Amino acid sequence: MLGYYLRLSLKSLRRTPGLTALMVCAIALGIGACIVTLTVYHAMSGNPIWWKNNVLYAVTMDSWEAARPYDPEHPTLPPWQMTYKDATYLAQSNIPKRSVVMAQLHGSLSGVAGQRLPVNALTRATTGDFFAMFDVPFQYGGPWRAEADKGPEPVIVLSKAMNDTLFGGRDSVGKTVVWSGHQFRVTGVLADWQPLPKFYDLIDNGPFAAPEDVFVPFAWTAIMQQFPTGNTDCPSTTKERTFRDFLGSECVWTEMWVELPTAASRHRFQAFMDAYWAAQHRAGRFPRPLNNHLTTVDQWLQINGVVSSDSRILLRVAFAFLAVCLINTVGILLTKFLRGAPLTGLRRALGARRIQIFLQHIVEVSMVSLAGGTLGLALGAFGLLAVRALYGEADQYGALAHFDPLGVAWALALAALSTLAAGLYPALTAGRVPPAVYLKSR
Amino acid sequence: MNIKPVVSALLRNRMGAVLVALEIAIALAVLVNAAFIVGQRIAMIDEPTGLDYHDMFAVTMAGFTKDFSLPSSVASDMAYLRSMPGVVSASPVGSIPLSGDGGNGVLYAQTGQHGNSAVYTTLQTDEQGMSTLGATLIAGRNFRPTEILPWSHAIDQAVPEIIVTQSLARALFPGRQALGQVVYDVRNRPMTIIGITRDFKGQVGAGTPPYNVALMPQLAGAFGGYYCLVRTEPGRAEAIMRRAERELAVRNTTRVIFYAHTLDYFKGQLDSENRNMAIFLVAVTALILAITCLGIFGLTTFNVSTRTKQIGTMRAVGARKRDVVSHFLLENAIIVALGVLVGCTLTLGVGYWLSRAYGMPRLDLYFLAAGVFILAAIGQLAAWQPARRAASVPPSVATRTV
Repeated sequence: MLGYYLRLSLKSLRRTPGLTALMVCAIALGIGACIVTLTVYHAMSGNPIWWKNNVLYAVTMDSWEAARPYDPEHPTLPPWQMTYKDATYLAQSNIPKRSVVMAQLHGSLSGVAGQRLPVNALTRATTGDFFAMFDVPFQYGGPWRAEADKGPEPVIVLSKAMNDTLFGGRDSVGKTVVWSGHQFRVTGVLADWQPLPKFYDLIDNGPFAAPEDVFVPFAWTAIMQQFPTGNTDCPSTTKERTFRDFLGSECVWTEMWVELPTAASRHRFQAFMDAYWAAQHRAGRFPRPLNNHLTTVDQWLQINGVVSSDSRILLRVAFAFLAVCLINTVGILLTKFLRGAPLTGLRRALGARRIQIFLQHIVEVSMVSLAGGTLGLALGAFGLLAVRALYGEADQYGALAHFDPLGVAWALALAALSTLAAGLYPALTAGRVPPAVYLKSR
Repeated sequence: MNIKPVVSALLRNRMGAVLVALEIAIALAVLVNAAFIVGQRIAMIDEPTGLDYHDMFAVTMAGFTKDFSLPSSVASDMAYLRSMPGVVSASPVGSIPLSGDGGNGVLYAQTGQHGNSAVYTTLQTDEQGMSTLGATLIAGRNFRPTEILPWSHAIDQAVPEIIVTQSLARALFPGRQALGQVVYDVRNRPMTIIGITRDFKGQVGAGTPPYNVALMPQLAGAFGGYYCLVRTEPGRAEAIMRRAERELAVRNTTRVIFYAHTLDYFKGQLDSENRNMAIFLVAVTALILAITCLGIFGLTTFNVSTRTKQIGTMRAVGARKRDVVSHFLLENAIIVALGVLVGCTLTLGVGYWLSRAYGMPRLDLYFLAAGVFILAAIGQLAAWQPARRAASVPPSVATRTV
C-alpha cells in the first residue's frame, strides 16, 4: 500500500512542479535560518563543562568599600573577582577537592634564547589544579606537580598554537623557553581546547575569546612584580603605591574556583568562608554585609549575561520566519489537495476509505517535508559556512558558528515535526471530501 | 463595484484566506520591528567619532626583560615614529580611542563627592596628543612639554591639570563656564580644567558615555605596557603601520609588540555587533516578505484557476476585463486588510515586549504606517499577475463544460 501511496504522491507532486518547488524551498529556507540561529544560540548558551556543573563553583565575596556597591547597577552582587590576600588564604583550605587561583598576565615568549624575536604571549598565571579541575586535554606531557606551585618552580604549559609557533608542533616537553626574561621548563602542551563560552575568564577577555597562549604557576605573579593585565578594580579608598602594597590592597584582580564534589563539602567550605569573613570583619575589614557566594558554572554564565539580547531576538525572528514558511506550506498544500478533490472523490466512490485518503496525503506531505528538511539542512550548513567566512573565526559569531551533531538532530526533528504538523490539516480536509459531488460534474 | 459577490467568493476558500492573512500579520510585525531596530543600529554605526580614524593607527608594546626601561623606550619609539615619512603626529597614550580598552572613573564638580558628577574615560598623553588626536581646542590651552608627568607605579597618581571634552564639561557644569573650574575624582584629588576640546570618542568602554573624555598630561606605562597613537597623511595608515610594526620590533628587543592595529580596525570591531544584527535582520525580513508574496501569488493563482468557468460567465454577461481584474484585486485587498489589521496589533505587541524585555526605545509609529503601506502595496502587486491572467479568460468558456 505504501508503495502505491508513494507513486500517487510522486505523480501528484509532478503535476504541479512549481508549487512543489515553492513548498520545498519555503520549508528549506525556514529550517536553514533556524539551524543557523539555533546553532549560534546553542553554543552561546551552552555550558562547556556541563558534566561538572554541580561540582565546580566560582568563589566571590563582597570585599568592596562601604560607600558604594561594586556595581551600582546590581547592588546585590559582590565583585566578580577576589583580592589577592583573600583568594590565597581561601586556597589553603583542604576542604575542596581542588582549588584554583588565577589572574591574567602578559608576557613575552621566545624559544631557544636568541634564536628568534620574542613574541607576545597572553598568559594565565594559575595554580596547578586548573588543568585537572577544568578537564583540560594535553597533547604532550601534563600539568606541573603540586609542589611547583609553592616554590614556584619555573615550569610552563604551552597551548597547541604556541607550541606550533615555537617548536613546529613537535613534542617540546622538557625543553626550555624564555618567558618574560626567565627560563622556564615546558611540562606539557595542550591539545586543541577552546571552551565556549570561556566560562573561567568572562571578565578579562570575554566569553568568546581565544584561550591563553601559556600557563605558569600563580606564585610567579608576586615574584615577577608585574601588575596583572586582566581586569583590575580598586575601591576609591586605595592608597597603595608599590607592587607589594598592591598585593595587600583591597583591589580585586584574581579569580577563584573550587571543586566541591559533595553537598557536605560545599556546606563546609561555605562555613569556612563565612568564618573567615567574620574574623576579618571583626578585624576591621569587609565593611559591607556578608555576601559570600559559591556559584555553579550555569549560574555564573547566566549572571554574567553571556547570551546577548541580540541573539535572543534573532532566535525569535528565525522562529517567526519558520512560522511564516510553514503557514505558507499549509496554504499551498490546502489549495493543492482541494484542487485534487475530483480525483479524491473518484477514489472514495471506488471504495477508498477516509483513513486511506488521509494516509495517502500524509505520505505526500512527508515527501515534501523530507525534501525540504534535507535541503534546509544543506542550506543551514552553507549558512554557517557563510557566517564563518563573513565574520572570521575571531568574531564571536564566527567562533560559534560550528555545525554540531546535536544541532543536526534538533534540526531534523524540527523539520519533520513542523512539516507534519503543517500537513495534518490539509490531509484531514482531503479525507473529508464527499464522493458524490465530484462524480456528478464529470 | 459590488462587494457582495467578492465576499461570497472569498468565503468559499476561507482557510486559504485566513492563512495568507496570518502570514501578512507576522510579516508586518517582523518587518516593522526589524526596520526599527536596523534604523537604530545604523544610527549607532554612523554616530560621529570626532576622529580622523581612517588615518590613525596604534601600536601596543610592553617590556619584560630586566634591562627594559620605560622612559627611554618610549622616548626612542616616539622619536622613530615621528621621523617616519608620512607621519603627521605621534604620541604615547594611556588608552586607544574606539578600542574598548582603558581606564575610567567618576569626576565631581565639588569637593567631597558632591555636586554634578560624570563618568569619564581617561586618556593620558603628552603635549602633542591633541594634534595626534586631531582634537580642536575651543577654549583654554594645550599642555606644555614641562607639564607632562613621568609614569610611576602609583596606582593613583594625581594630575593637577586636565583638558576635557565639551560633553564632559557640560555634564559637570551645565550652563556654566567650565574652563578654570576645579573638579574632583573619587579620591577627592583636585584637578583644574585648563582646556576644552570639541567632542571625540574615547576608548568607549561599557557604561561610559563615549564623548566624556579627560586628557591627562602623563606618560602612560600602565602595568609595563604602553600604547603609541599615530596619525598619518590620508590613506597611508595601513602601509606605515606595517613598516613601523616590523622596524620597531627589531630596533628594541627589550620589549615585545602586542599588536598594531589601525583605528579603522577598532571601529569595525566596535560596530560588528550592530552590523551583524542589521545584516541578519535585513536578510530574514527580505525572505519573509518574499515568502509572503509567494503565498499571496499562490492563493490568487489557485482561485483564478478553479474559477475559470465563473470568470467566463462574468465576462459573458457583460463584465469588462478590468472588472475581472478588480474583482480579484478587491478580494485580495480584503485579505491583506484583515492581515494588516491583525498585524498592527501583533506589531505593537512585539514592540512593547522588546521595549520591556530588552530596554529598547518604544516603536516609532511612522515605521508602522510605512510598514502597512509597503505590505499593502506588495500584497496587491503579488496578486496583479494572476488577476491579469483571469481577465484574459474568454467569455466563450462559459458556454463549454470544463
